[in-house]
Amino acid sequence: MSMVTAVFGWTGRISLNGLYAACRVCLLVVSTFDWILVRPLRGQGLRVRSTLLHLVEFGAHSFPVVGLVCFLVGAIMAMQASYQLSRFGAQQFIADLVSVAAMRELAPLMTAVLVTGRCGSAIAAEIGSMKVAEEIDALEVMGIHPIRFLVAPKFLAMLISVPALTMLATFVMIGGGYLLATAVVGIEPGLYLERTANALQMKDFSTGLVKSVFFALVICWVGVYRGFQVEGGAEGVGRMTTSSVVTSIFWIVVVDMMFTVFFYFL
Amino acid sequence: MTNNDYIIQVRGLVAKYGETTVLEDINLDIRRGETFVILGGSGCGKSTLLRNLVGLMRPAAGAILFNGEDFTAMSEDQRTAVRKRMGMCFQGAALLNSMSLYDNVALPLREHTKLKESTIEIMTRIKLDLVGLAGYEDYQPSELSGGMKKRAGIARAMAMDPEMIFYDEPSAGLDPIVAAGVDMLIRKMQNTFNLTSVVVTHELASVELIADRACLLKAGRIVAVGAVAELKAHSHPFARQFFGRQPEDESARSEEFVRSLMQGEQAAHRARPAGRGDTTGE
Repeated sequence: MSMVTAVFGWTGRISLNGLYAACRVCLLVVSTFDWILVRPLRGQGLRVRSTLLHLVEFGAHSFPVVGLVCFLVGAIMAMQASYQLSRFGAQQFIADLVSVAAMRELAPLMTAVLVTGRCGSAIAAEIGSMKVAEEIDALEVMGIHPIRFLVAPKFLAMLISVPALTMLATFVMIGGGYLLATAVVGIEPGLYLERTANALQMKDFSTGLVKSVFFALVICWVGVYRGFQVEGGAEGVGRMTTSSVVTSIFWIVVVDMMFTVFFYFL
Repeated sequence: MTNNDYIIQVRGLVAKYGETTVLEDINLDIRRGETFVILGGSGCGKSTLLRNLVGLMRPAAGAILFNGEDFTAMSEDQRTAVRKRMGMCFQGAALLNSMSLYDNVALPLREHTKLKESTIEIMTRIKLDLVGLAGYEDYQPSELSGGMKKRAGIARAMAMDPEMIFYDEPSAGLDPIVAAGVDMLIRKMQNTFNLTSVVVTHELASVELIADRACLLKAGRIVAVGAVAELKAHSHPFARQFFGRQPEDESARSEEFVRSLMQGEQAAHRARPAGRGDTTGE
């Protein structure tokens, strides 16, 4: 009997906790859109300066690491493809494989994972330590809404910088594949570029772009949600920062899967 | 006395953390222009009372009236309007660490007014001068000492020229000399601007310096209200114990402490069904 109650209790608790978290996230989402889309029309403006600063931080400052990693991933992909395709003498298909995989899948995913590690964690840590230091309370008492002051600028900056980074990352990744394929595998540069141009379609481009927009939403909201969850002191900040990265990457992969299935049948 | 003489009125306030009742049936009348001190031991609910007053917590029952209007029943926009007329100094000052001292004090003005930057600069410098921090405009909060942070917090709370100002443990963590300086500052603000100040503290020394009237809280209930002299002469055993600085019986206290811990833990569980791992991952 106690075994049965334990199982039901466990399932119930998990479901209730999940439901509770879902409600909290929904509130956050509604509130964010309220402060970005509705309130500015009523004269409660956005914090443009802060948005631009975050744009530089999330976008421009992330580019070196995103670019480097994506360049290397492109080269790795070309090499692995060559290893398999050379058995069939089909090495010119490296171009197709690298470009399509980069544009549809790997560039958005790598960018999102790197931005999560760099910026998602920073968002959680910043909001978390502000909460611990009563700074969030101070904002509220001053009549400054924390969503407007803290979340809206980060959200907008993330929404612009992640798709932009993804586009750049795609080109860098294809460039990495090109360099390796022409220099190491020995494919003729002209042929490689021609095959790349033939392989890519507008649909591939939009797939990657749509994904990256949703990745941006995940990174921002998970970071913010985890940040506001912080309780206690420095230990809580650490735990929620770690958790924000893990949760964010998990949901990025889930969203990625959903869109991949969706676009596969489209 | 008419209702108009009271700026803050608390009626039947009940506050709960989950199932645990922290404040029970609190009734208070705070007069315009006075310094009112909320006294009590650690964990008696005085900080909770303050959080309810400034709207950081919604009471489980009861009403808080500012100038006769019920703060708890207001819409979010109305509450924001009221908050522009109140200032609060937090225990740890709670200055925004990402901004310089100047920007911290100028923040409420920038957010809530359409004043020109030159006007904001003058007002900010006046406020900083008032708390004795002129010349520290470009310092980051992390570069300031504890006492300076408290002063900066007061300057920020004063930025919008509020009618009422709330202090949470203004002298906590300061040495006696600096604490006395902060007390003098509270007194000075009250005299200069005819502010209503509400101060939460357990420092007996500062009560004598700053308080016009005070209330004494024990385990979530008001034991006594009145002028400091009245409280000192009060017949309630806790009042006598508190002002006489007599310790509680150790054995009884430790038992009670363990019980309160257990209750607190249970309450925290009930209050917050989502703890760790409430979404996937981890």
